Amino acid sequence: MDFELSEEQLLIQEMVREFAAAEVAPIAAEIDRNHRFPEELIPKLAEVGLMGVPYPEEFGGAGADYLSFTIVVEELARVCASTSVIVAAHAGLAAWPIFEYGTPAQKEKYLRALATGEKLGAFALTEPGAGTDAASGKTTAVLDGDEYVLNGSKIFITNGGYADIYVVTAMTDPDRGTRGISAFIVEKDTPGFTVGEREHKMGIKASSTTPLYFSDCRIPKDALLGKEGRGFVIAMETFDGGRVGVGAQAVGIAQGALDASIAYAKERVQFGKPISTFEAIQWMIADMATEIDAARLLVYRAAWMKDNGLKYGQEASMAKLFAAETATRVAGKAIQIHGGYGFTESYPVERAYRDAKITEIYEGTSEVQRMTIAGNALRKHKATK
Amino acid sequence: MKIVVAYKWAPNPQDASVGVDGAVDWSRAKPGISEYDPVAIELARRLAEATGGEVIALTAGPKSVDASMARKAALSRGFDRAVIVADDALEGAGTTELAAVLAAAVRHIGDVDVVITGDSSVDVGAKMVPTVLAGQLGWPAVAEVTAVSGSDPAAGLLRVERAITGGTQVLEITGPAVLAASTDAAVPRVPGMRDILAAGKKPVETLEVPALDVPASGTTVTVTATARPDLKARKGQLIDTADPAAAAAELVAALRADGAI
Ligand SMILES: Cc1cc2nc3c(=O)[nH]c(=O)nc-3n(C[C@H](O)[C@H](O)[C@H](O)COP(=O)(O)OP(=O)(O)OC[C@H]3O[C@@H](n4cnc5c(N)ncnc54)[C@H](O)[C@@H]3O)c2cc1C
Repeated sequence: MDFELSEEQLLIQEMVREFAAAEVAPIAAEIDRNHRFPEELIPKLAEVGLMGVPYPEEFGGAGADYLSFTIVVEELARVCASTSVIVAAHAGLAAWPIFEYGTPAQKEKYLRALATGEKLGAFALTEPGAGTDAASGKTTAVLDGDEYVLNGSKIFITNGGYADIYVVTAMTDPDRGTRGISAFIVEKDTPGFTVGEREHKMGIKASSTTPLYFSDCRIPKDALLGKEGRGFVIAMETFDGGRVGVGAQAVGIAQGALDASIAYAKERVQFGKPISTFEAIQWMIADMATEIDAARLLVYRAAWMKDNGLKYGQEASMAKLFAAETATRVAGKAIQIHGGYGFTESYPVERAYRDAKITEIYEGTSEVQRMTIAGNALRKHKATK
Repeated sequence: MKIVVAYKWAPNPQDASVGVDGAVDWSRAKPGISEYDPVAIELARRLAEATGGEVIALTAGPKSVDASMARKAALSRGFDRAVIVADDALEGAGTTELAAVLAAAVRHIGDVDVVITGDSSVDVGAKMVPTVLAGQLGWPAVAEVTAVSGSDPAAGLLRVERAITGGTQVLEITGPAVLAASTDAAVPRVPGMRDILAAGKKPVETLEVPALDVPASGTTVTVTATARPDLKARKGQLIDTADPAAAAAELVAALRADGAI
């Protein structure tokens, strides 16, 4: 057993910290306050290779492993959760299915543009009537000659409006249930494809979340990703990796909140002493540090399993569930340690508290993770009996 | 153009702690590339990009400077290759001794056009290595360098800008030189993902001191004691700032009265 990061992973961690301190930290509060999508960051992230971390160099990626990508997402989230979700949805959700299931031509055209960061990606599964019940989507894709015709709508799509390349699921055969769902690559500006108004959210405010509308939107037949009917499997496999990314985001948010709390507790004097000398504050810090460490270990293990070709769906769900709930708990305690000041926008923990919540919702709510984990645990018990 | 950047693998004082007796405990200080050296690397990369040159990393110190992590941390910053003098005989070596070893390594590399260093090292901060190194090589030394370009690289001519009080001085230098970058000469680039992943594959030449032609100096310098400066008593005078103009006038009057201005 080896709990050490490799030298490369340590250098990547150091590099992202340096990058985040120089480029992200100075704007993090402002982009949150103004709900401003940080377009200027994308070329900067791309220049240092952070838009295509886990993809091979031959497709313009950095050629690093998934654990490195996890570290990148965590370190960005430590400073700015919005920035981390922009990168995670792009590299973790949009690029991944193209890398796994794309034809050589699709990889050449789309994966390269995504991995180099020249273009931004989005992944669109959720529909107004199909959230947790992701298989009940109503968006359809009908083959008409050499084209598929898309009709329907998606909701809550991260990077919507800013992305150039969208991976979209749609029903190709409504009679076949999950086996009737297919995945497609849709380029922005395709006639019949429009992006709706950005949601006004409680957290990750600088990220863009929008509905997508398809009205007789014609895409070429070769925009199909994988085979017809494989869309649901593609989405679920993509989410396994995506959950590790959300877990990393949660760990980063929590660590950022703990860092701020420790600094504050050492500075804030009440009753003539820094509040860090009070046992009540120390116990909160102890619990926060311990839970973050446990969450990080779960997240890194899931990433490591993915890198080693092991089945990691269960571990990804556990990591996402525990890290997300840790982030919410830790951010709550961070506000408590900051007292009234923590409740104001003057300190970053207020933002962390709002940002943490989403990690319990997207890419499968905590309830769904528990359903998955329990299902696997019960099945396993039956198998070993 | 052959550009050498001499960098120091040094412990970061931020992680060192000072005991009540003033003794510095370095045991928790993580080593890294000395704070201002990335600025020198950035100037070197810009010069190399403009002239098509090669940037060579050079460092000298005890064996730890050749640790795998130390090599990769340096090489990920955009060097083409590294020459590392790693010898435990250099543990605690003084400025003069280190500069002599670095000079011998520069001669060993051969045909070097320019050596660029950081302004000062993060742990010692004496600002002496560039000057002594230049002296050892018989080359000119220029400090506070803010920019360097090759105005006529074929003729070995460097165009160097340096900060002087109240302005900038522009120098044309024929032949090789040692330049010390000013601390704010350039914002160093963050190493890219690919630089980091390629760092372990770049060529490194590791040498020990006996392999180099280091002239014997015959002089030794030993630090026999270090002490904290005596604390000066402060006046602790507070000026009421409710009326800023009046406060400013009062401050000026107080400074005049004390002969400070
Ligand atoms: C900011 C943001 C960004 C997003 N980004 C994307 C994106 O990029 N791409 C994308 O496709 N989607 C995205 N989503 C959608 C997200 O994945 C869904 O919101 C999420 O899966 C939950 O679906 P829902 O909102 O419809 O909630 P619902 O499914 O309606 O759930 C409501 C509640 O019911 C519970 N529940 C539902 N079913 C069950 C059950 N069977 N048993 C027990 N409890 C149940 C849920 O856990 C939850 O508590 C995003 C959402 C947000 C808010």
